[in-house]
Amino acid sequence: MKLLSRFGSLALGLLALCGTLHAEPLKIAYSDWPGWIAWEIGVQKGWFKEEGVDVEFLWFDYVPSMDAYVAGKVDAVCMTNGDALVTGATGKPSVGILINDYSNGNDMIVAAPGISSIKDLKGKKVGIEEGFVEHLLLLTGLEKNGLKPSDVTIVNTPTGETPQVLASKAVDAIGAWQPNSGQALKALPGSKPVFTSADAPGIIYDLLYVSPESLQKNKAEWAKVVKVWYKIAAYMKDEDNLDDALKILSGRVNLKPEEYEPFLKGTHILSYEEALKTWEKADDLKSVYGSTKNVNAFNLKCEVYKDSQDAEKYLDPSLTKALAPAK
Amino acid sequence: MSCPDFLKGWFVVRRELPGSRKALLTTLSFLMPIALWCIVSYVPFIWHPDIKLTLAANTERISGVFTAGNRLSRDYFPQYVEAVRLDNKETIAARAAGTATPGAKRANRLLLRQLAPVAIDNGWLPRGEEQNDALLYQLWGDLATGKKIALTPKLSADNLAIARENWAILSASSPVFESSKLPDQLLLKLIPQGIPSNPVYLPPPHEVIQAGWRDFQAPRVGENPTMGERYQHSIRIILFGFIWSCIVGVPLGILGGVYDFFSRLIGPFVDFFRYMPAPTFSTLLVAVLSAHDAPKVALVFLGTVFQMILIVSKTTRLLDPALLEAAQTLGAKPRQMITHVVLPGILPNLYNDLRILLGWAWTWLVIAELIGVKSGLTGFLDTQGTFRNFDRVFPVIILIGLTGFVTDQILAFFHGVFFPWAGTSGPVSRAISNVVAWPVRNLLQYTRRINAPSDLP
Repeated sequence: MKLLSRFGSLALGLLALCGTLHAEPLKIAYSDWPGWIAWEIGVQKGWFKEEGVDVEFLWFDYVPSMDAYVAGKVDAVCMTNGDALVTGATGKPSVGILINDYSNGNDMIVAAPGISSIKDLKGKKVGIEEGFVEHLLLLTGLEKNGLKPSDVTIVNTPTGETPQVLASKAVDAIGAWQPNSGQALKALPGSKPVFTSADAPGIIYDLLYVSPESLQKNKAEWAKVVKVWYKIAAYMKDEDNLDDALKILSGRVNLKPEEYEPFLKGTHILSYEEALKTWEKADDLKSVYGSTKNVNAFNLKCEVYKDSQDAEKYLDPSLTKALAPAK
Repeated sequence: MSCPDFLKGWFVVRRELPGSRKALLTTLSFLMPIALWCIVSYVPFIWHPDIKLTLAANTERISGVFTAGNRLSRDYFPQYVEAVRLDNKETIAARAAGTATPGAKRANRLLLRQLAPVAIDNGWLPRGEEQNDALLYQLWGDLATGKKIALTPKLSADNLAIARENWAILSASSPVFESSKLPDQLLLKLIPQGIPSNPVYLPPPHEVIQAGWRDFQAPRVGENPTMGERYQHSIRIILFGFIWSCIVGVPLGILGGVYDFFSRLIGPFVDFFRYMPAPTFSTLLVAVLSAHDAPKVALVFLGTVFQMILIVSKTTRLLDPALLEAAQTLGAKPRQMITHVVLPGILPNLYNDLRILLGWAWTWLVIAELIGVKSGLTGFLDTQGTFRNFDRVFPVIILIGLTGFVTDQILAFFHGVFFPWAGTSGPVSRAISNVVAWPVRNLLQYTRRINAPSDLP
C-alpha cells in the first residue's frame, strides 16, 4: 500500500513537472505596425485561449523587438521580409510562417513643408532607422527618381522619435510607418508624404517570423496561432465589427479610433485566399518570394550585409497551406 | 519714514529667518512658478500662437488626421478650414449631379460623430460614449431644430446652417438612428472650430489636472496596467536597484575608507567604471538578464553603486581621527575599531549620503524603464510624449518630483529621530527618538546590571 502511494506521488510529481515544462508559453514580440497591432484583437477576445494555445505577446519598439529575438528572449517576432534577412544575416535566422499584410501606403517618407517631391531631398537630411525597412523604402524612392543613396544624408533616428525630430526641424524628412508617420504629419502641419509604400507595391511584406528551433518543437502550437490570425483577419474585414476592432487597435497605441481608421487603407491585411496567392513562388513582387529576393539583391547592393540570403530558407508556407479554408 | 515691521529683517547677512517667514518663503517658492504658469496660460494676449481644435473634421486634402484637442498654428488653421469647405463644395456638386459616393454610409456615420467632442464639452454626452451613434443622431436633430443650444463651445453660424441642412436629409430618411437608413450620399462636414491656445507642450494647469485625474482613475484595459500599478512598478525598480547597490556599495565603501589596502585595490577601477555611463550597458543587460525587470534593476544598480562606494569611503575617511586615536589608546582591536568607533561615528553622515544617493537612483529610472519592455511611469511618459499628449505627461512628471521631494523630507525628518546627537533634530523628532529609545535604554541598563558582577575578576 505504502509503496503504491509512494509511486502515486512520484507519478504525480512527474506529471506536475511535465506540466511546468509544457506551461512555457510561445513568446511573440510585436510592435506598432497596424498589421501587427491586429494581433491585439485575438489577445483581447481570448481567441488564443479558445484555440488552446498558450501565447504571450510582448510589446516592443520595432528594432528592440528584433534585438530581443536575436538575444533568444522571444520565440517569434513580427518583422518585414527585408528586416528578417537583415536580422538573419547579422544575428539569427528565422522562418516566416504567416503573412499578415503588405504595406500599401502606411510606410512613408514624410518631408517638411516646402519639399514637394522626393527629388527635392537632394542634399538634405533624412531621419530614419539605418539598415531597416524605411531605409529600403527611401533608397527605392531615390532610385526610382534617379537619385543616388549618397545624395541624402541619413540621420539614424529611432522610428518612435521621428515625429519630434521632424517637428524640431533637425532633419528635412523622416521615414516612418503609421502610427508614427501620422504623428509626424500632425506634429509639423503642412508636411506631407513624398514617397510611400503605395508607390512601390510589394516591396514590404509583414510576416510572423519564428525561430527554427521553436517551429520544429512546437509546430502544432504555431499552427493554432496561424489559425487564430485568420479569425482576426476575417473579423476585421467585416464592416459591422469595424468600430469594435478600431477601439481595440487604437487603444493599443493610444490613439482615438477616428485617427486610426485611415491606417486601414495603408496596411492591406491579406485574406486567406490572398495569402495563398502571395505564397506562390514567383519572381515578381506579388509573391513574397519574389519580394524577398528583390530585397536581398537590394541589401547586397547597398552593403547592408555581405552574404546573399536564400529567400526560401526564410519562408515556410506549410502552416498556412495546411489550414483548411476558413469555413 | 519708518518701514512697517513685516518688511524689516528679511535680508540679514548669515542669519536664519524665523519659522513663520521660512514657511511663507517655502510656500512662495512653489506658488511663484505656478502663478507664472497660470499667467502665461490664462491671459489671452500673452503668447497663444496656436489654435486648439474644439471641433475637427477629417479631410483628405491635407495630410494628417486632426481630432478635437489637437493644436494647429494660427497660420495653418485657415488652410485646414478651407480644405473642409472645398470638401463640402464637392459634396454639394456631387449631390447636384446625382453621383453616388462609394462607402458613403460609413463616411456619414463618422460624420455624425464629428459632433461628439462638442457634445461632450456641453455635457450632453458622457466621455467614452463617442461612438453612441443613436444619441448623437438625436443631438443633431436637437441642434438643428434649436431644442438644444451649444454654449461651450458655441457652434458657428455656418455650422448651425450645416447641421440644419444635414438634419433635413437625415430626418427625411429616419427620425432615429438606423445604420441601414443612413443616406447613400455624403452629408456635409462641420467646419473646424478652435480657440487660441499655447503650444501643445505647455497646456494650461486645469487641463493638466483634469488629464491627471482621468488617467489615475482609469481602470485597467487589457494588458495596460493602471497608473497605480505603474507607480508601484517604478518604485519597486528604484528600491531594488538601490537596495542592491547598498548591499554591495556600503561595505566596500567603508572598507575602502578604513583600509588603504582596499582603497588602492578597489578605488582605481571604481573611478574608471564610474565614467562609463550606465545606459551604455543597457543592450548588454537585456541580453544577459532578459527583457523584464532584471535589466532595469541592474541599470539602477550600475548607475548608483560606483558613486556610492566613492562617497561612502570619502565619508568614512572624514571621520574625526581623534576618535580613532582615543580608541587605540584605550586598547581597541582593529575589528572593534570598525564596529564600535567607525560605524557609529559615520552613521549620521552615511544616512545623509544614502538619502542623496536615493535621489541619484531616481535619475536612472527614466532610462532603466525604457530598456527591454517599456514599463512603469516612464513607459507611460514615453508613449504619451510620442503622441504629444503633454497634458498627460505633466501629472506624471510632477508625481515623480513630488515622490522624490516627500521621500527626501521624510528621510530628513527621520535623520533627527535616528541620530538625535547629530544636532539636526527638531522638537518633534527629538521627542519621538526619546520615546522610542526609552525602552531600549532601560533594557541596556538592565542587562548591564545583570552582567556587571560576572565581568569582575
